[in-house]
Amino acid sequence: MELIFWILSAITVLGAILAITLRNLIHCVLSLILFFLGIAGHYFLLRADFIAAVQILIYIGAVAVLMLFAIMLTRHVTGDEGPREVLGGKWWAGMGTAVIIAGLLWAIIRKDSLAQTLPAGTAATSVAEIGKALVANWVVPFEAMAVLLTAALIGAVVIALEEVIRKR
Amino acid sequence: MRSWFANAPDSILLWVSIAVPILFIVSVFPGIFAYTTLVERKALGRIQNRLGPNRVGRWGILQPIADGLKLLTKEDIVPRRADAFVHFLAPVLAVIPSVLLFAVVPIGLGLVPVDLNIGILFAFAISTASVLALFMGGWASRNKFSLLGAMRAVAQVVSYEVPMVLSAVAVVMAVGSLSTLAIAKAQSGGFLNVTRWFVFRPWGLVGFVLFTIGAMAESARTPFDIPEAESEIIAGYHTEYSGFKFALFQLGEYLASIAMAGITVTMFLGGYNGPGSGPGIFGGLISMFWFFLKLACMIVLNIWIRGTWPRVRVDQLMGFAWKLLLPMAIVNIIGVGFWHYITIRPLAWVVTTLWLVIWFMVLTKLAATENVAPRTYRYAS
Amino acid sequence: MGFIGKGLLEGMVVTARNFVGSYFDKERMVTVQYPEERVQVPENSRTFPFLVFDDDKNPVDTMRCVACKICEVECPPQCIYIVMDRDEKGKPQQRPKVFDIDISVCMQCQICVEVCPFDAIKMDNDYEKSQYGRFNELVEHLPDLLKSNEYYNKIKPREASGVDAKLKADKEKKAKKAAPAASKPAAAPAPKPASATARITIPDDAPFTPEQREWLGKFLVTATPAAGAAAPAGEASAAQLAAPATGEAPAGNWPWHDPGMGIQQRLELAKNKPLADLLMAAMAQTDCHACGYDCRGYADAIAAGSEADLSLCLPGEAETENMLKKLMEGAGK
Repeated sequence: MELIFWILSAITVLGAILAITLRNLIHCVLSLILFFLGIAGHYFLLRADFIAAVQILIYIGAVAVLMLFAIMLTRHVTGDEGPREVLGGKWWAGMGTAVIIAGLLWAIIRKDSLAQTLPAGTAATSVAEIGKALVANWVVPFEAMAVLLTAALIGAVVIALEEVIRKR
Repeated sequence: MRSWFANAPDSILLWVSIAVPILFIVSVFPGIFAYTTLVERKALGRIQNRLGPNRVGRWGILQPIADGLKLLTKEDIVPRRADAFVHFLAPVLAVIPSVLLFAVVPIGLGLVPVDLNIGILFAFAISTASVLALFMGGWASRNKFSLLGAMRAVAQVVSYEVPMVLSAVAVVMAVGSLSTLAIAKAQSGGFLNVTRWFVFRPWGLVGFVLFTIGAMAESARTPFDIPEAESEIIAGYHTEYSGFKFALFQLGEYLASIAMAGITVTMFLGGYNGPGSGPGIFGGLISMFWFFLKLACMIVLNIWIRGTWPRVRVDQLMGFAWKLLLPMAIVNIIGVGFWHYITIRPLAWVVTTLWLVIWFMVLTKLAATENVAPRTYRYAS
Repeated sequence: MGFIGKGLLEGMVVTARNFVGSYFDKERMVTVQYPEERVQVPENSRTFPFLVFDDDKNPVDTMRCVACKICEVECPPQCIYIVMDRDEKGKPQQRPKVFDIDISVCMQCQICVEVCPFDAIKMDNDYEKSQYGRFNELVEHLPDLLKSNEYYNKIKPREASGVDAKLKADKEKKAKKAAPAASKPAAAPAPKPASATARITIPDDAPFTPEQREWLGKFLVTATPAAGAAAPAGEASAAQLAAPATGEAPAGNWPWHDPGMGIQQRLELAKNKPLADLLMAAMAQTDCHACGYDCRGYADAIAAGSEADLSLCLPGEAETENMLKKLMEGAGK
């Protein structure tokens, strides 16, 4: 099954590279979707099928659609493809950020305790176990996330409502 | 033949076990799609006091083939300033999720192409990916009306996904597993293999109604066909598509509707269970028969509803989903909880039914649109 | 007690009943299975023109069209093309040799029907006219256009019976007017004097209007070989014909009253005649009544001053109009 890993990685990396280099923004978002699909495939390989399915459901079904809507509503509808200057042309800012992140990643991967291979014969984590863990061991972060999402939802409605009230 | 299967090396068996379901799905379900279009046209015709197509072959039997040939030979027009790549990709992305959905539908006892233990979750994840196709179709046409249609379509699909998924959660709670095969197996037994269907439980009935409404809205069928209503927005997101790309959009939509009907049957109507279904070859064939019979009933229900109800207005659509269906779905989940934890069956029946009915009445009162004064008419004098 | 969704379910019951009932109650289906069945078109519907003939056994001779070309002139998109039939000597036969209607141009306005003085062209209601070509295949020629009076009665009974009644009344009126003046031994206007040898007679049931009979009578008299010997008889018959036909003009010999003659020849024949005769000679001599009179009447009206419009002679077109103008100027009017 090594071959599948390499194919999936190739697709994922291709999606990521295309997402930052293509000129047309919509094409960028579509390659980002390809990237998400690749990551979901990796999750399947790691036998975390719940996470994989949720990755597709949330990232592709919601986040990518949100990005598409945002692009569509804020750019000129005909999709201008004028030259873009990222970060106001300060290429050294981007380079510096890339170096810092690369350094962090290398430091993390180098430490053995975090980079482990799966022991052979690991059973897939079933949804039931995830559910039980969420409401038993991790209930506080779970509820906190719920509160955060509710607050975000209410905030979005309030912002939209303000627009409506102001327009009237 | 059996000895050949027993002695064949594992890799060959693997490929055979992959190829057979794929071939089955790819040949049977598009065939069902083609004849569903014919049955729909003839049934709608008879409802409307006219005959459906009956010129191509006796009773119009060859009509789907004629339609397919016509669409194949039509000129493929791509608007000049349209985004050619996205324009090409949109119909493809419309079909892929619809076909993938069939991978988790059990058509008979133990007969599911892939027995995922996250089957239902996979089905919903895939169906959300079909939203992208709607959007890409509308965007790539460089047509403001298409874009508008696409946005409305996406809003509709996303809004109706939520109560649909939540009503499926009720079933998952009752069964304890996300696997479609397990859900179908949980409905076997009982008198004639019928009484344990979830549709005969209070929470199951509510869930069935919610899920059916959600499934009709997902595949943009009347009364939720705002995205592609001819009198509203020409053809919405697939206005600029002609020829085979249009056929692919239709294929994707109908296949999604059939697949969702299949999942409805699995979750609420007992899947392949029916009198006579059981293990063994004969029982397996009977179970396949029952599954396809129930699938046909759901398709007929879809067609019947299409011929009867008028189209829902966009604001009514959103209000219905968010104000009535979503709270009802949450209430339904709590109802399943009552059912599960109250061990005395008659009490469970009473409590669950009361809970659901009372909340239904409350929610319909709350969700009622702003008070409309009785209409006054002014006639020309 | 209405619950939410009651109306929806009632609607579904209605459609279900309609669906099931459609198998048992065949009359409720509104589908017309074309081409096995056809929808009955109303009587007034019209598609393209056709030419009427009266006798099945002899369509070409009994067609009502006399090739006066009024419909060709009046047609707004100019889709009619007519060539009059002439015999070997060049004499016009009062029927068309070529009558083409281009139905890809025809706009079905029915103006040709309205202006035809002989009820010869009527509107058909046959809509199945598709052809495999766009140009020549859509031009209808004379054989395609000739259809019988029975067919006309079948497709438009009310209109056709009105036309038939009018034609019959006209014929009777002419016969009644000619009867008192038949004092000569030649008796009826139709048969010629017995002295003529190779005389062509017009049978009684030939479908000519009284004006047509009159003209034909005169023409046949002048056209027969024994014309020289029959000239006096011709004059006599012309006299007896002329009297009942046009009550307004004095009976006279009009040798120029021949549509086959050119305008110069006609004016030659009418030289040194009174102005009314000259004016008549300038006209097209078809007695088609496009101007509202017959040729003699129009000329008399112009001469008397009661008709000021000199352009009414449609078959004569510009030639006649210019000549009329010149004659009127010459006469100082």
